[in-house]
Amino acid sequence: MLSNLLTKFAIDPVIHITPLKVLTIGGLDITNSMLYGVICSLIILVLLVTVARRMTVFPKGGITQFVEVGTDFITDTLKSALESEEKAVKYAPYFIAIFFFILFSNWLGLLPIVGEAFTAHGEPLTRPFTADLNGTLAAAIITWLLVQYFAIRESGFLKHMRHYFNGSLKNPLTLLLGIFEMFSDLTRIASLALRLFLNVAIGEIIITVFSALGGVAGPITALPFTILELLVGALQAYIFVMLSIMYLAVAVKHGAHEEHETPEDHLTIDEVVNAEVNNVSN
Amino acid sequence: MFVNFAAEAVNTAVLAKGIMMGFGMIGPAIGIGLIGNAFMNAVGRNPEAAKYLGQILVIIAIIELMALLVFASVFIIK
Repeated sequence: MLSNLLTKFAIDPVIHITPLKVLTIGGLDITNSMLYGVICSLIILVLLVTVARRMTVFPKGGITQFVEVGTDFITDTLKSALESEEKAVKYAPYFIAIFFFILFSNWLGLLPIVGEAFTAHGEPLTRPFTADLNGTLAAAIITWLLVQYFAIRESGFLKHMRHYFNGSLKNPLTLLLGIFEMFSDLTRIASLALRLFLNVAIGEIIITVFSALGGVAGPITALPFTILELLVGALQAYIFVMLSIMYLAVAVKHGAHEEHETPEDHLTIDEVVNAEVNNVSN
Repeated sequence: MFVNFAAEAVNTAVLAKGIMMGFGMIGPAIGIGLIGNAFMNAVGRNPEAAKYLGQILVIIAIIELMALLVFASVFIIK
């Protein structure tokens, strides 16, 4: 009896890996993820502009404080990575924007209205923007291009190219390793994009599968995984920004290191040994 | 003869998916275990650096990517 009831409500999980076309405007195919991406962007734009207008010296609480905490957090991370407050403030706008974009795209994608709820010609009308490889690839490519641009502006084109070729240029191995290094720099695009896409898309699949397994109790069985996805969405936004900040720090800091040599570099071995001996005897 | 029988009677795609998931997850699991081990050792030796080391812990994401690729490959097998 009970098993009959359960099988009656059980539905086959519908899993989409790729986004689906919903409409065509002037020869350009609009997919469901693009549609929801534009909606999310508008929501984020309105939210951030409203928060920026309501910003006061004394925190008000609510969503304003949430955005302030996020902004502060990214600026602090930049400051500790670049070791300079001036540079951190200079590069903060892009990283804060991409952080909130990914965070809110992930979280708005978990709403029950996204997916099979609204359909056009039998295909879902909305899909989380970050659950589409095209979207995350675009975010990764723009981040990579901007990191290259920031690094070139900071240390000059030749010096930026030189940091791939580490060592004497007369050595042929340096050339080989340098080209290899450049290729490994390019793979960062793929790794950034794939990580975000796979985390979000697989989260969606897991929620779908567990709500289908639950049958009548679908909402209850899917709840723990939805809460887990809230955590994963925030974590992936943090990881995306953290890794791009690390790439920027590696590219920018290299030029600064060669200019400012610490006085300790000029000490002879005897002086260092004497200093060590004095330390130990004290 | 047995091979023909197996190919007809057994759904090899499901078997392949199971085997791939099982073996593919071994590597990332060991890798994340090693990172956790190194993190705890480092914090035990130098508790003041815990905050800095926690930031470096983000490299778990690089290994997690391998596990996610294994999971995603399941949908390629038909």
